[in-house]
Amino acid sequence: MSEGPSPVILTDSSSGDAVPAILLSQIGEEQISDWNQYWRPALEETLARLRANQVPKSRWPQSAHWDWEFKTKQMRGLLAFRGFAVIAQGVTQGLMRVDLNHNARLPAQAGKPLVYVEYLETAPWNRSDIATPRYRGVGSALITAAVDLSLEEDFRGRIGLHSLTQAESFYRDACGMSDLGPDTMYFNLRYFEMTAQQATAFLR
Amino acid sequence: MTLNLSEAEMQALDELSVKKDLSKTAVLRQALRLYQTIEARLELGHKLFIEDTLQNDKSELMLL
Amino acid sequence: MATERDETWWRARAEREQGHFIAAGALAMDPDFASAFRPQLVEREQSRVAFGKFIELMRRSKGWTVEDLASEADLEIGDVLLIEDDLTVLPEPRTVYQLARVFKIPQTNLMQISGLSVPRDPNLRQETVRFAARSQSVERLSDSEHLALEQFVSVLSRAAVESASDQSNPADENDS
Repeated sequence: MSEGPSPVILTDSSSGDAVPAILLSQIGEEQISDWNQYWRPALEETLARLRANQVPKSRWPQSAHWDWEFKTKQMRGLLAFRGFAVIAQGVTQGLMRVDLNHNARLPAQAGKPLVYVEYLETAPWNRSDIATPRYRGVGSALITAAVDLSLEEDFRGRIGLHSLTQAESFYRDACGMSDLGPDTMYFNLRYFEMTAQQATAFLR
Repeated sequence: MTLNLSEAEMQALDELSVKKDLSKTAVLRQALRLYQTIEARLELGHKLFIEDTLQNDKSELMLL
Repeated sequence: MATERDETWWRARAEREQGHFIAAGALAMDPDFASAFRPQLVEREQSRVAFGKFIELMRRSKGWTVEDLASEADLEIGDVLLIEDDLTVLPEPRTVYQLARVFKIPQTNLMQISGLSVPRDPNLRQETVRFAARSQSVERLSDSEHLALEQFVSVLSRAAVESASDQSNPADENDS
């Protein structure tokens, strides 16, 4: 799993058909280019409404771009960071970056290393906060990749992440992760962890 | 690649291996990852601080 | 290690996603919400603009074309063009390192103004903004551009000397 691309199957929401896809174990220039070319414009349309009352337009869109590129460039070549992408129909459908330097916080596994999901995002057209997400299964494929990596690295399937507010139910209910509550050190996002047992159940 | 570790080093490796529930190789991998990450940050001019949460004291970890 | 996963396995997971929104990490957050926590970003943009201008002026002050600079610094021409023209793209650390060597500018300072590392020196920050405002893109370096460039170079070099003398305490070396 750690080297070449591996097959994934998504579901087309409207037709219900199976859509063949691949999981890449890195985030390359093509994925960043897709992010710039396809994700950002779609995202900005949605954000235009919100932005009306807030931060001046001159400030924001560049900053999102900056942060992503900035972090990607800084991490390049470092062993502790791994990128993943799901590609279908020649376009990046989801991105994830993980950090292998983290320890678990859940008392049952405190201090033990886990795969920490620093960032996970699906393409705007796959988000369930728009009318009909195009493909389902992208997020799951990425979480599966994180758990697989955790097993490969001897971390027993343990993973951790900070969930966006709207995603909490996915991690808690669909993935069966433990909810450690809002993290005041991290934008008050809820922090979730998956134990070895939960990982086994998740992969079943 | 053969590692030449002293007794004390082997013992430390053993202890970490048990504590972290990792094989010895995995412990060394973690050490390498952490070392490389820290070096990369230091090269960018960042500094590494350790916080003593009990004493509410933060100090710089000099890694020159 | 990953067992063969058939279509049924994947489809079941896709089904479980029904009605769920999936994302993690601050980078995935609604940018307007996130921007409240990261005021440093705008500064980084300004710095990046100054960096591009600086490299361009330094190159022109030596009478070099883009190709000349690329050759001197052992860089791709595309990298140099990105630095000078595409002010939204961040340079690679190696590119900044090479430029620092060629122009004999302290690397840590160039890293800061390139946007790759967080600016720590308030004086450098101020001077960077000032420099960006004063430099314009014209064919030949004007007298005022020359002056602006010289002054900025001296600030960059001075900042490095000052911070180097801050760190010259003979602290005990800790084995890590």
